[in-house]
Amino acid sequence: MFSKLLIANRGEIAVRIIRACKEMGIKTVAVYSQADKDALHVSLADESICVGPAPAPLSYLNQQAILSAAINTDCKAVHPGYGFLSENADFADLCEQNGLIFIGPSGEVIRQMGNKDEAKRTVAAAGVPVIPGREDVKDLKEAQEAAREIGFPLLIKARSGGGGRGIRRVDRMEDLKNAYSTAAQEAKVNFSNPALYMEKLLSEVKHIEVQVLCDSQGHSVTFGERDCSMQRKHQKILEESPCVLLGAPQRARLMKAARQAVKALRYVGVGTLEFLLDREGNFFFMEMNTRLQVEHPVTEMVSGIDLVKWQIRVAAGLPLTFTQRDIRSQGHAIECRINAEDPAQGFQPAGGRVDILHIPGGPWVRFDTALYQGYEMPLHYDSLIAKLIVHAPTRQEAIRKMQAALCETVIEGVNHTALFQADLMGEEAFEDGSYTTEYLAGKGAFHA
Amino acid sequence: MLDKSMFKSPNLRLEHGLADGAGLPLVCPGCRREVSQEVFEQEFCQCARCGYTHKMSARQRIAMILDEGSFLELDAGLQSSDPLGFPSYREKLNQARTSSGEKEAVITGLGSIEGRRCAFFASEPGFMMGSMGAAVGEKLSRLFDRAAADRLSVVGFTISGGARVQEGIISLMQMAKVSGAVRRHSDAGLLYIAVLCDATTGGVAASFAMQADIILAEPGALIGFAGPRVIEQTTRQKLPEGFQRAEFQLEKGFVGKLCRRPEQKALLASLLAMHEVEPA
Repeated sequence: MFSKLLIANRGEIAVRIIRACKEMGIKTVAVYSQADKDALHVSLADESICVGPAPAPLSYLNQQAILSAAINTDCKAVHPGYGFLSENADFADLCEQNGLIFIGPSGEVIRQMGNKDEAKRTVAAAGVPVIPGREDVKDLKEAQEAAREIGFPLLIKARSGGGGRGIRRVDRMEDLKNAYSTAAQEAKVNFSNPALYMEKLLSEVKHIEVQVLCDSQGHSVTFGERDCSMQRKHQKILEESPCVLLGAPQRARLMKAARQAVKALRYVGVGTLEFLLDREGNFFFMEMNTRLQVEHPVTEMVSGIDLVKWQIRVAAGLPLTFTQRDIRSQGHAIECRINAEDPAQGFQPAGGRVDILHIPGGPWVRFDTALYQGYEMPLHYDSLIAKLIVHAPTRQEAIRKMQAALCETVIEGVNHTALFQADLMGEEAFEDGSYTTEYLAGKGAFHA
Repeated sequence: MLDKSMFKSPNLRLEHGLADGAGLPLVCPGCRREVSQEVFEQEFCQCARCGYTHKMSARQRIAMILDEGSFLELDAGLQSSDPLGFPSYREKLNQARTSSGEKEAVITGLGSIEGRRCAFFASEPGFMMGSMGAAVGEKLSRLFDRAAADRLSVVGFTISGGARVQEGIISLMQMAKVSGAVRRHSDAGLLYIAVLCDATTGGVAASFAMQADIILAEPGALIGFAGPRVIEQTTRQKLPEGFQRAEFQLEKGFVGKLCRRPEQKALLASLLAMHEVEPA
């Protein structure tokens, strides 16, 4: 079924997928842009095809070029990795129409989860808690009613909005009337649809996510959660599993909710359900990522299960050969995303040539990267250059291991964030696990 | 750049299961471990690791219980037609025949268990979930009548979703007809042993399955008239854990003994020996 596979991605994730394929005896075809001709994934794959010039829309997002490459090299399947085409429903459909297996869920499911409203409706119907809110608010009276129901602070949004436009924060009932009319006006002007959506504003929350894996026979498993609350401008910068603040009964409820959601969706493949966890310990479904996540190694380390290999196997129609009971999270894992950004210059993206590269080692230290010594980094793509993952029996030991490994990391020639993260690990809110998604912006944290 | 030739290709064959036409591996639904077909059949289609019992076909039952070569099939050609012209029933029948390789949902005949002759029947779960239509009722009635005439005990393995809806009232009538034959066999002073397997429900549970002199059951089998989900929905009550499972029915007295597959043949043989009758 799967003798040859095309990897429609670059960087560390392309390398990660090629490694899984090599172990599985699957031949690989890498695609690359003109700027990436010297990239590691190009050298590692069995075959490599250039699919266009440096800008991603002309190469890594160029569906026709990628499909032609797959067909011409006689590939059976396409692995989209994360980012780029990984959550593009049209591409998933196009693969299918061309007789290629898209390694991910069907275009239909991607579409369903890509529409945030529909995603929430679907999982809410399956009994999963979602952020309290009301859709389709048509007039002020309805808005007031909804506000009483939801509570303050709340957000009023244009239903067909996006990119932060048409969003109003309301803290008191007195302010509702004004906010409502401006939001409605804006929605009408900008999106020619005055329909509004109201939702509770959750502040000081943790971002908790649940990894799922489902085969095409209807069996699914959930893995222990990941705490991805350490974020800078909505970008995760480190992740850990398990979340220290989550108790066993809460975790059980979270896993049950995730299982209900994937069952309702008839989901196939790997996926991640993202939840917000508030100070009181309530969790609310936010969205589902229908692909492999950057931080998947955290789960691999605590579960001992290779998610990429299983993603390929279930895409090939193979059944899971383990049950929920077989999944036991052991110890604690932390991942740091090392970005080519200069913390001293407001995290400005950095480029350059890797003059010296020293990768940290030792037991239970994993370094996923596409860097090599002498590599000239192109500036056209994401700034993630490496992921450092450690695993230890306790969180405390994992933190120490991570700090030591970050300090051992040498990437000469490119500014990066490793030492920033080493410092971050020493901060109190990280040590006690109370950091929220706003920690780095306003240093917000739960207090014990 | 790093040259491609710097990286040697690992000399690894394509992982098991991924090759063209590899077919899907057999996975135990209980523990999800891969099992080999051969070992599996030797183990009476029961998972050695978790004890999960898989559905066994009627032919597999015959091979498991009856002495090798002793089985003589009766009424092999009897099969249901479509007496009511029920929509898409013919297609369903054809489909069931192709997928199960049997003409009907029960196989009947004569054979011996550890040398003791008996009449034998086994439901075929792969044929419309062993549902009872006119042909199933007729085959069973003839078997009991034949057993009464030959003064043989009857041993039967039941698996059924119940009466076959596509045959409507004709299928319901089979309950009375088979019950009559069981009664005639019983009145002749002869033994009938039923082994209730997962699942024995509906009109079959409500007739010949529960009329046996000795009722055995496979551990974990669902046994009841209406299924638990239907009962829960109708009564709007939460049912107790393990409701209608063989263990529950044993406790409530509907079942005499639970018996695992590896022990079934020996138990049936000793029960037959205890109730041995003089040939007429």
